[in-house]
Amino acid sequence: MELKRLKFVDKPFILSLIILIATGIIILTSASSGISSDPFLYIKRQVIMIIGGFIVAAIIIRYDYAVLRRYSQVLYILALVLLVLVLVMGQELRGTTGWIKLGPLPAVQAAEFTKIFLIISFADFLNNKKGLMNNLGQMLPCFVYMGLPFVLIMLQPDLGTALVYIAITIIMMLIAGANPKVLLTVVFTALLLVILTLFLHFQFGMWLPLEDYQISRFTAFLDPYNDGQGGRGTGWNTIQSLVAIGSGGLTGKGLFNGTQVQLNFLPEHHTDFIYAVIGEELGFIGASFVIILYGILLLRAVYIAFNSRELFGTLVVIGVSAMWLFHIFENIGMSIGLMPITGIPLPFLSYGGSSMLTNIIAVGLILSVNIRGRKIVF
Amino acid sequence: MQTASLLVRKRIATLFFLFTLGFFLLGGRVFWVQFVRGAELSEKAMQNRMRDVPVESKRGIIYDRNGHELAISISADSVYAIPAEVCRTGKQQQTADKLAEILQMDKEKLYQRLTRQSSFEWLKRQITPEQSKKLRDLDLQGIGLTEESRRYYPKKTLASHVLGISGVDNTGLEGIDFYYNDLVGGTKGRIIIEHDAANRPIPEATHKYIPPVDGANLILTIDETIQYITERELDKVFKERQAKSAAAIVIDPKTGEILAIASRPTFDPNNYDDYPASNRRNFAINDAFEPGSTMKIVTAAMAMEEKVVDENSKFFCPGYIKVGKETIGCSNRTAHGNQTFAEIVEKSCNVGFVQVGLDLGMDRYYKYVNGFGFGKLTGIDLPGEAAGILVPENRAKQIDLATMAMGQANAVTSIQLVNAVAAVANEGKLMKPYLVRQVIDNEGKILKKNEPQVVRKIISEKTANDLCLILEGEVTNGTGKNAYLEGYRMAGKTGTAQKIAPTGGYMANEFVASFIGFAPADKPRLVCLVVVDAPKGYPYYGGWVAAPVVREICKDAFRYLEVTPDQSENQEKVEKVVVPDVVNLPLSEAISIINSRGLNVKVSGTGNIVWQQTPKANNKLNKGSQVIISMSQFDKNNGDSEITVPDLQGKSLKEVAKILADLGLHLVPEGYGLAYEQVPEPGKVLTNGSSIRVKFQPVGE
Repeated sequence: MELKRLKFVDKPFILSLIILIATGIIILTSASSGISSDPFLYIKRQVIMIIGGFIVAAIIIRYDYAVLRRYSQVLYILALVLLVLVLVMGQELRGTTGWIKLGPLPAVQAAEFTKIFLIISFADFLNNKKGLMNNLGQMLPCFVYMGLPFVLIMLQPDLGTALVYIAITIIMMLIAGANPKVLLTVVFTALLLVILTLFLHFQFGMWLPLEDYQISRFTAFLDPYNDGQGGRGTGWNTIQSLVAIGSGGLTGKGLFNGTQVQLNFLPEHHTDFIYAVIGEELGFIGASFVIILYGILLLRAVYIAFNSRELFGTLVVIGVSAMWLFHIFENIGMSIGLMPITGIPLPFLSYGGSSMLTNIIAVGLILSVNIRGRKIVF
Repeated sequence: MQTASLLVRKRIATLFFLFTLGFFLLGGRVFWVQFVRGAELSEKAMQNRMRDVPVESKRGIIYDRNGHELAISISADSVYAIPAEVCRTGKQQQTADKLAEILQMDKEKLYQRLTRQSSFEWLKRQITPEQSKKLRDLDLQGIGLTEESRRYYPKKTLASHVLGISGVDNTGLEGIDFYYNDLVGGTKGRIIIEHDAANRPIPEATHKYIPPVDGANLILTIDETIQYITERELDKVFKERQAKSAAAIVIDPKTGEILAIASRPTFDPNNYDDYPASNRRNFAINDAFEPGSTMKIVTAAMAMEEKVVDENSKFFCPGYIKVGKETIGCSNRTAHGNQTFAEIVEKSCNVGFVQVGLDLGMDRYYKYVNGFGFGKLTGIDLPGEAAGILVPENRAKQIDLATMAMGQANAVTSIQLVNAVAAVANEGKLMKPYLVRQVIDNEGKILKKNEPQVVRKIISEKTANDLCLILEGEVTNGTGKNAYLEGYRMAGKTGTAQKIAPTGGYMANEFVASFIGFAPADKPRLVCLVVVDAPKGYPYYGGWVAAPVVREICKDAFRYLEVTPDQSENQEKVEKVVVPDVVNLPLSEAISIINSRGLNVKVSGTGNIVWQQTPKANNKLNKGSQVIISMSQFDKNNGDSEITVPDLQGKSLKEVAKILADLGLHLVPEGYGLAYEQVPEPGKVLTNGSSIRVKFQPVGE
C-alpha cells in the first residue's frame, strides 16, 4: 500500500479543483433554480455525481496507474464498442445521438467516458513507439489509431467531442516526440482544407454532406446578427451569451438575479452556457476567478506530467490536460463569441453526470501519476 | 523504469507556456466583453426583456391668428390589462365580471384575454368618459387606462391644404401637421413591461408607465374669416368655370404673413380617403405655371428701377413685333398704337413689354427675376414647395427674353408670384412668406416664433410707389376693370397665359387666367392672387375670370378688417349702368342697345345672333365698360347643343326665318304678317334641330 505517498499530492491542484467544484455547485444552484418545479433537483443530482466520482477516483489512486498499460487494448476496444453502440442504439437528445440507456440506469453520454479510455490506450500506443515519429509515414499509425473513434464520433454527429479528440491526439503526439514541423503542417493543411471547403460551398455552392443549418450553426458566431433571422436564428445563442456576460459588469447582477439567465433568454444556461451565467451573475470578478482556477489546475497538471516517473504517466496526464484545455477553450470561447457553438460542457461547472464522472475519474488518474512521481520515498 | 526524456520535458515546458498564453487570451476577451462592450450589451439585456407598449401623445392644437381652432385632438381612454398581474391576484373571474359590466363586453371573452399568455392586452380602445371614471374608481389590479387621441379638423375642408392630414398612428403626414410634426407631435409615452424569453410577463417585475408629452400648439398667420371668404369665392369660380384647378392667396405685404391660402380641388382632412389623392395637391405651393401678364408687374418694376422707362417713354404698337425670326402679337392682334408706359401696363400690351424687356437686356432681367425670388423656394413653412423653372440664363436667347418680359416661358408658383408683387406693395422689400406665427407649449411658453423677415430690398420705395399708381390705373382704366371695388383704391394686373401642351408648343384652347391685386394702392393692406387653371367657357381672360374673384375677396375682407372705404376717391368718374339682356338678339340690334346704355361692345365669333353675353344681364358696370357678346357658335350639324328659344314677337316672317335658321331651329309658320304667338314660348331650352311653331298675323288686324 502506498497511501503514505498521498503526502506528495499536489496541493494547489487539489485546492483549485475543490474551489472550482464548489463554485460550480453555487452557480448551478442559481442557474437551475427555474428549470424544474424542485429548484434543487439538478443540484442534488450533481452532488451525487460528484460524490460518486470521488469514490471512483479514490479507488483509482490506490492502484499504480502503470497497471493500466496492460489493459490498454481492452480499453481501446471498449471505447470503439461504446461508440458503435451509441450509433446503433443511442438516443437522440439535443440534436445528437450521444446517449445510451442501459436498463434502469440513467442515460449516459458514452463519448465522455471513451475520452478517458482513449487517452490511456493512446498513451500506451505512443509510449510503445518510443518517439519514432519523424515523418508522415511514422505518424500515420497514430492517425489511424485515433482516426477510427474520430470517425465514429463524427457519425453521431458530435463535432465538439470530435474536435476534443483532435486536440488530445495532437498534443499527446507532440509531447511524445513527434516532429512538430510535420505534425503542424498536417494540422494546418487540414484546417486550410476545411476553410477552403466552406468557402467553396458558400461562394460556389459546392456540395457538402451537411445541411446548411448545420454549417450555419457552426459559423454563426463570426457574425451572429447576420444569421438570416436578425439574430433570432443560429446567432441567438452567441448573442444572448455575449449579452449575459457583457451586462454583468465588474461584480455581476448577483446570484438568482441575472435577467438573461432567469428569464430564459440564455439557452442551456445550466449546461453549455454555465460560464455566461457566471459572467452575468458574478461579473468580471467571478468570470476571471474561474479562469484563474482553471489556469492553476491545468498548469499544475502539466507540472505533474513534467515530474512523472515515466513517459506513460506523462502522456496520460498530458492527454487529460489537453482534453480539459480544449473543453475550457471551446466552452468559454463560445460563451464570449470567440468559438463556434458546439455543445461541449465546461469541466466541473456544467451540469451533467457523465461529464462530471469522467472528469473526476481523470482527476484520479492525474493524482495517481502525481503521488507516484519522481520523488523518492524513504 | 523509463523517465521523461529531455525532449519531452522541453515540450512540456513549451506547452506550459502556451497554456498560460491561452488563459490570458480568454481573460482578456472576457474583460473586453464586460468593460468595453459592457454598456452596449447591458442596453441589449434591457431591450431583451422590456416590452414597450407605446402610448400616443396628444397632438397640439392648430389655431388661426385669432385663436380659433382649426385642428384639434380628441382623446379618449383605452383600457388595457397585464394578464400576469391580474392572475396574481387570483381574482380573474371577478375582474372579468366587473369589467364586462362596465365595458358592456362579453364576460367569457374578457376572461380569456385576462388569462392569456401575453404581457399586454388591450381590452377596449377609446371608451366613454363615464366608463373611464368607473374604472378609475374601481382601481382593479392589473388593469390600466391610457389616453389615446386622434386628429380632428372641426372646420372640415377649410384650409385643408395648409393643415394637411394626420395618419392613423397620429403622426402628421402632410401640410403644417407634417412640417411641424416634431413640435406638434409631442413625445410618445410608454408602458414598459418586463417579460421573459417566452414572452411571459413577470409579476412584481419592472412595469412602468411613462406618460406621453403632449404636442405644442401652433398659431397660424391664417385668418379664419379671410380664409373662409377666399375659399367661398374660389369655390364659386372653380365650380362655375369647371376649372382644372385653382388657387387663391391673400398675403399681408408688410410682414409676409399669409392670411389665406386655398387650392382647388380640395378635400376634408377628417376623411381624406374619400377623395382622390390628387385633391390633396396644394396647387398654390406645389405647382408652377407660366403666369402670363401678371408677371408684367415684375418686368415693369425692373424697367422703372433701372430707368429703362419713365413717364415720358413712348411706345408704338402695330399689333405685333418681330424678334429675330419670330413674331409676337398682342392679344387678338389688336394694334394699340401710340402709348405711354402706363398705358402699355393698363392695356397689357405685349409689344410694349417686349420692347421694355429687350431694352433691359438679359443680365438685368435675370438679376431682378432672381431678386424677386423666382426660380427658388420662398421657404414657406409647408412641405413640397416647388421652385418653378426659369429659362436657364446661359441658354436664354433674345426671343426668350422677349417672351419672359411678357410673362411666358418662365414657370412660377402662385406663392412666388404673390410674394413678388407683395414686395412692390411693400415699398420694394421682399419678405419671406410664412404660415406659423408661434409655437407654444401647453404652459403657454413660446417655443418658436416666426418674425417678419426681409429677404432683400429689391426696388426703391419710389419705384414701388410709382408702380402702385400705374397698377391702380390698370384697374380703373385697363384690363382689370372687373376688379374695381367701389370706395377702395384697387391696384392690380390681369393675366391670361397660354399653357404648354404635353406634346410641346402652346395649347390653343386652354389658358391660365389670373389676377393679382392689392389695395388700397397708396397703403396696401392685402395682396390677393387668384389663379384659375383652364377655365371653361368664354371669356377665359384673367380680367373676366379672376379679377371679380379678387374684388369679392377684398370687398368682404376689407369689411371684416374694418378698412373704411375712401368716399371721395374717384367717385365722380364712375357712373353705374345696368347691363341689358341682348341674348338671342340680332347683332346690330344688340350693339345699338348696348351702346345706348353707354357701354362698349366687343364681338367675338361670327354669326348674326347673340348667343352669350358677359357680364350677364342686370349686372352693374361702370359707364364705358365693355360687354362681350359672342355670336352663335352652332354649326348646323352640332346635334347636342342646347338652344334658348328667342322671343319672336312682332318680327316679320323673313326675320324669324333667319333668326331660327341661325340658331339651328326649324320654323313651322302659320299665317302671315308679324309673329304674335309661338310654341314653345321664349326662354324654353330646345336641342338643335327642334321645330318651333310661329303664328303670324297681319298688322293692324
